[in-house]
Amino acid sequence: MISTIAYGLTIGGIFYIISIGLSLTFGSMRIVNFAHALIYMAGAYILFASMSLFKGWFIPAAIIAVVSVIPLAYVIERFVIRRLYGESIDLAIIATYAVLLIGVDITKWIWGATPIPVSDPVGKSLPVLGVDLPVYRLIIIVVSILIFICLEIFFRKTIVGKIIVAGLEDREATTSLGINLDKYFSIVFILGSSLAALGGVLYAPITTVHPYMGFQVILISFAVVIVGGLGSMRGTFVAAFALGMVMSVTGRFWGPAAEAMVFAVMAVVLIFKPVEV
Amino acid sequence: MSQSVLKTLEKFSLPLVAAAFLLLAPILTVQRTTDFIIFCIFVLAYDLLYGYMGRLSFGHMLYLGVGAYAVALFAEHVSANPFFAILAALASGVAVGLLLGPIIVRTTGACFALINLAFNQVGFFLALTAFAKWTGGEDGMATFFDTVWILNFDNRYTVFGFSLFSLILVVFLMRRLTMSPFGILLRMIKENETRVQFLGYNTHRYKLLAFILSTTIAAFSGALTILNYTYVTPSFIDTTRNVEVIFASLIGGAGSVFGALLGGVSYMAISNYLPNYVQRWEMFLGIALLLLVFKFQTGLWGFIVARVSGFGVEKDR
Repeated sequence: MISTIAYGLTIGGIFYIISIGLSLTFGSMRIVNFAHALIYMAGAYILFASMSLFKGWFIPAAIIAVVSVIPLAYVIERFVIRRLYGESIDLAIIATYAVLLIGVDITKWIWGATPIPVSDPVGKSLPVLGVDLPVYRLIIIVVSILIFICLEIFFRKTIVGKIIVAGLEDREATTSLGINLDKYFSIVFILGSSLAALGGVLYAPITTVHPYMGFQVILISFAVVIVGGLGSMRGTFVAAFALGMVMSVTGRFWGPAAEAMVFAVMAVVLIFKPVEV
Repeated sequence: MSQSVLKTLEKFSLPLVAAAFLLLAPILTVQRTTDFIIFCIFVLAYDLLYGYMGRLSFGHMLYLGVGAYAVALFAEHVSANPFFAILAALASGVAVGLLLGPIIVRTTGACFALINLAFNQVGFFLALTAFAKWTGGEDGMATFFDTVWILNFDNRYTVFGFSLFSLILVVFLMRRLTMSPFGILLRMIKENETRVQFLGYNTHRYKLLAFILSTTIAAFSGALTILNYTYVTPSFIDTTRNVEVIFASLIGGAGSVFGALLGGVSYMAISNYLPNYVQRWEMFLGIALLLLVFKFQTGLWGFIVARVSGFGVEKDR
């Protein structure tokens, strides 16, 4: 039971880290960004590639992975998403999905389609209430909570954060104050993308790295964003951990149903609380 | 060329469509042409939601898969009469539409796309794992159909003829539907739903009806697919295949019956023959989609209409 809860919190933390970016782009630009899955996957692959460069040293490899997706995210934002601001939402979905397809194919070209395992960088376990829990998973939970606290401070205390919150609330009013929102939304996009890459980096040792890993996670992240409320940072935090628990508890009783259960919860939430975009 | 040419063409459109597919059959082999025809029916079902009502579904494979599994399970457990099995597939298409429609139709834009995708994922799981005892899981199941009167569905030509007849029927119905007041209302909902509500229409009811029609036709195309392949596997309900129908709809031009047909045929031709020459098929698909989104939003049919009727004339979309 303890290990089920710990696993739920771990994947909840990872879902949170990945979903922030989606929630922000959804809230700011009303765009469903499938390319997010590409960046998540790129993070995991670059981690794998730079791990061999650093002879298995995890932390510098992780930093390289998170930093090196920034130009990729900038290119996607500048040349695909920004061109679709005023256009219909449907075209944005299709365009970002196309970017994801291209990225997956390039990944298959470079690294092949076989899943790559990444070993646990800590490797130790800590006894908690009589159950051995891997320290690495506890670290993930702590990191995700730290990120939540940092983002809360960023959005409430700094000027840049406040401008972004204002932009999320009312785009026109913020622009009419003479603020170039596009610039700030690119910052948001790059911030969200780096976090997605961090999610990929942290999740890689728990699962395996393969070209289609993004497809799986992006769907769950969308469920998190919808359950948490579009553009609501605290809602995303709560929803990520709640859905993580749902997945882990379902998985304990019947493994294959874990993912389907997340979508069932999402459907129930939508019945009682229709989302307006 | 002028608009009168288009008008005359439209008058004889049904025989022309039939003739075009009959011409394709000797070129591409009968079974492949049947595949093309069935896919066109699926694109038409999809286009009713995307092109006419303006709702992008990212999970339409679910409805095709429901029809496919309904036919296979009905043939296995109840009766091997193909016509009853198709009726069962239509009924299950209506049932799925009635069950999921009230939830799905309330949303718009991105949420609509994602909810369809989520339900598709659940359906895929149900077919692959949860009901594996009945559906055969990953291996799928083979289906056998009785011969009714002179219609033996083991014969390729019978399936071809029946599919072509079905396509003509669906095209005819879709054209009647989209030109009817109901079809105009759907297009109004696409443009501005709030104003339609101000006019006193209960838009929820119309959207639900359109959704159920779309799921039913999609289930019908699924049923025909099984008649053609005589086996069913979870690949007919796979979420990653959703992009196929979206691509086909875009390539032909959303929001017109002929655009959907053209898109279906073009997509099938590309996906059947291009992998023989180009290895990186997904990359090609991605780049083609980006080009369509940024440069050719009206698709092939929109391009043809603009060419034939002269420039400056109102576009199809």
